[in-house]
Amino acid sequence: MKKTLIAAAAALTLLPGFAAAESFDEAFLKNRAMYGKGHVFEWQGNQYLTLHEEEVEADVAATADNAKMMIDKARAKNKEVAELGFEWKLTGDILKSAEAALAEGDYRKALDLAAQAKYHARIGIQQHEYAQSNWHLSVPQ
Amino acid sequence: MKIIKNLTIGVGVALTSQLALAADSGFTMATVNPEADRMALQNYFKKRFPEAEVQDYINGIYAVDADSRAQWEEIEEFPPYEFAVEEGETLFNTPFANGKGYADCFENDGIGIRQNFPYWNKEEGTVKTLEMEINECREANGEEPLKWGKGDIAKISAYMAWTSRDQVFNIDIPSDDPRAKAAYLDGKKFFYAKRGQLNLSCANCHVQGTNIRIRADLPSPQLGHVTHFPVFRSKWGELGTLHRRYSGCHKDSRSKPLKPQAERFRNLEYFQTYMSNGLVVNGPGARK
Repeated sequence: MKKTLIAAAAALTLLPGFAAAESFDEAFLKNRAMYGKGHVFEWQGNQYLTLHEEEVEADVAATADNAKMMIDKARAKNKEVAELGFEWKLTGDILKSAEAALAEGDYRKALDLAAQAKYHARIGIQQHEYAQSNWHLSVPQ
Repeated sequence: MKIIKNLTIGVGVALTSQLALAADSGFTMATVNPEADRMALQNYFKKRFPEAEVQDYINGIYAVDADSRAQWEEIEEFPPYEFAVEEGETLFNTPFANGKGYADCFENDGIGIRQNFPYWNKEEGTVKTLEMEINECREANGEEPLKWGKGDIAKISAYMAWTSRDQVFNIDIPSDDPRAKAAYLDGKKFFYAKRGQLNLSCANCHVQGTNIRIRADLPSPQLGHVTHFPVFRSKWGELGTLHRRYSGCHKDSRSKPLKPQAERFRNLEYFQTYMSNGLVVNGPGARK
């Protein structure tokens, strides 16, 4: 139970990186890159799991309803990022694969693929937000 | 003591305002200065590659990498785009079903005008590209528009570029229509914004990354980027338009590309071509 709560907290990620030697984001990304998903790491005395919020969201019973709901959420998020002009190249195909898995009754696969697509879309939106205030940094002066 | 205190405050305020200006120079409608951008880009490349002549940047990576240049010069001995230019000339001179032709749609009968594109069209409130006007010409004369990326449109565009070789680009951003400057700024912002799964901007490869190997490739410099389009790419085995190349670049960085001739791609072309003002048309070109 405690682990689940911490995972949920970790999945919310993006805690403000206030004056710490290493921000939560940095610690999360480093551990995720080094150990993959589901790894336990410690940050400022607490333990967290290297799970993205979409992976926590997809950690539900593998049913048709849950898979369809996750696909719908991912599709909506991808529409949002597409309208901003920051859609990633592979997301559409991942969503198609999720739909195919749902149709074949492989609900776990459908949930995981939809989670991946939703993650792509969420990070694309973050990328757009970053670009709005930082695009000028590499302009020669 | 009071004088020193006031002076300190005054200098502090002045420095702060200068820093604020520096941090915002050229990034908003109020401050963007296309000519300053062009000079800054030229100076950037002059410092990076002091041996390269500015006028030689029309040759892309071959202006700054000797080994690549040697290979390219061999390719240019029998230019791979030559037949396509001839086909483009035939297509250009073949009348439409109504008896009119491309020459009727363009100034100077469409000869030697590549350097005037893209341009800001005040009436339509948008950037117009050469390929866009080729298709508009067709539609105005009852013909189906051509596909944007390759094939006949690239051949016709290549022929028109061929007749314009050595003409100097002098893209104008009319000061009496702020929408033109907004389109330029949008193109500039597009060029420098990171996007796609690999989190890359156009500039990451074509400004900071110029001549730095990405696997087996050496990215070309942004300066002179558009002068040689359309290009015959060895990878394609045929001619392609600038917007086809834009799509490819997006896919390479795992970003979903816009449709060819989308407004933001045209704004990007407007910005990029302005950066090449003062350079000459040398399209069509041959690239790897």
